[in-house]
Amino acid sequence: MRRESASTTDYGIRALAAARRLPEPHLARWLAMDAPSRAGFLEIAQALRLRTGQLVVALDLLGEIAVREGKAGAEILARPELARIAARAGSTPERARAFIDAIRAIRFPRLTETAARLNSAIGELRLPRGISIVLPAELGSDVLTIKLEVSREGDLDRAIGILARHRAAIARILATLGGSDEV
Amino acid sequence: MKFDLDAVFVERGERDSALVRRVVAALPGSVPVEYVADGREAARASIGADPFAAGKRRMVLMRRRAPFLMSCPAGSARFACCGYLVMVLASNCPMDCSYCFLQEFVADNPGFQVYSNYAESFEEIERMIHSAPGRHFRIGTGELADSLAFDTVTGLTRDLVGFFAARETLTLELKTKTDEIENLLALDPRGRVLVSWTLSPDQVWRTSEHRTASPAARIAAARRVLDAGYRIAFHFDPMIAYDGAERGYSELVDNVLDAIPAAQIGFFSIGGLRMTPALRGAARRRWPHDPMLLGEDVLASDGRLRAFTALRLKLYRVLAERFARAGAKVPGYLCMESASVHERVFGVAPDNPATISERLALGQDSR
Repeated sequence: MRRESASTTDYGIRALAAARRLPEPHLARWLAMDAPSRAGFLEIAQALRLRTGQLVVALDLLGEIAVREGKAGAEILARPELARIAARAGSTPERARAFIDAIRAIRFPRLTETAARLNSAIGELRLPRGISIVLPAELGSDVLTIKLEVSREGDLDRAIGILARHRAAIARILATLGGSDEV
Repeated sequence: MKFDLDAVFVERGERDSALVRRVVAALPGSVPVEYVADGREAARASIGADPFAAGKRRMVLMRRRAPFLMSCPAGSARFACCGYLVMVLASNCPMDCSYCFLQEFVADNPGFQVYSNYAESFEEIERMIHSAPGRHFRIGTGELADSLAFDTVTGLTRDLVGFFAARETLTLELKTKTDEIENLLALDPRGRVLVSWTLSPDQVWRTSEHRTASPAARIAAARRVLDAGYRIAFHFDPMIAYDGAERGYSELVDNVLDAIPAAQIGFFSIGGLRMTPALRGAARRRWPHDPMLLGEDVLASDGRLRAFTALRLKLYRVLAERFARAGAKVPGYLCMESASVHERVFGVAPDNPATISERLALGQDSR
């Protein structure tokens, strides 16, 4: 009975991989998972109609989380934050994107949390149109980009004044970016 | 001999060199010795499914055709650099750290080469010190190989320590993850030889630093060479931002300071794990179950994967602050990080590489 079930799962995996033209190394990695993990990922991939790129990313991230945490894929997929997405209402593409975001957040927990905190701090500044503060991609450096878009001298004075008023808050964002706050 | 070898290859023209005689005499009879026309061919040989690992067990005794002295390959204008000069006496290493850059750097040339004409490096150094009278140089042998692994067989440190001990403007740095210090203990370095250990917490050692001495054994070895008249230093490089890393590295520094007074530590260096995507791919293929290779790494502007900046710098600061509270000022520097990162960690801008190098050679604060 169990052999039949595993074989049905593998048939489903191969069929989906063929339909999506999943690269061979990723298919091999999927098939190398234990039976519950193989089946669990197939169920989610079918329910969310994951596209090729999403399948590749999700398989990579799932494999890396499994090594980081020493857990099987099925255990990871059963986490509430992932299971909720598969079960909830909403469009399939939107749920697929949310699934990828959620699995990435599990793979990069402190990065996700720090980026959210920094984005929240930037949002709290309520900067007007024409002034933006941009974090480095994936927090990969300690350089904050401050962008001013002005066409008149008065706009420039106003923008500089606003930045000066927020100086302390921006300095705190810079400090967090440089690791001096709780990460 | 603390490490295993499958075979030793000797370049025919070098069979009468002092190094070859010493090595062949010290080898156990079970290790076959083969004489070859050109050691480079033996070093390039690609054996089995993991040629890099196989190369570690194939010692090749050969002439070095290129200069022995070079600037540290980690140096770059974009980084606050320590000005380290590398003396290449060997290439590859019998230990096997999962994160090691040699997996990419010597991928096409994996044999464990030891250069029989190493005495020519002394002539290069003589020319260099005569071209810059009065300048102090810190020169190390531990970049493309471990400085002490196999030293009981090669005996290289006996000649090295003798050469450097006699020259007051030189400091030799022997960098290692072993506790192979027997030869050193019998020599008098006259204050001109510094032995440094790369240290990681136990968690990293257990998962990732295969065939190395334990951190406790490295610290104990440091204590012994200190007592024998050597200067000592520690490299916390690569620091890996695993879960619990802050506690792991703090405890590691505590263990160092329990064994060695801060005032007697020459310096410490810090560097985060950084891997090109190609290195990470090679390392992951060889060590697919190593969690330390799967940190929260992102692609930095230098094309290397590193723990995202805030996480990495927080870890650096934990270590630097622990040393700052050690009761005596221990000089420290960062490897492969920008000047702004240096300033964030140490609170001051870094000096230029030549100045840092000279201060480290003289045992002064490099910050």
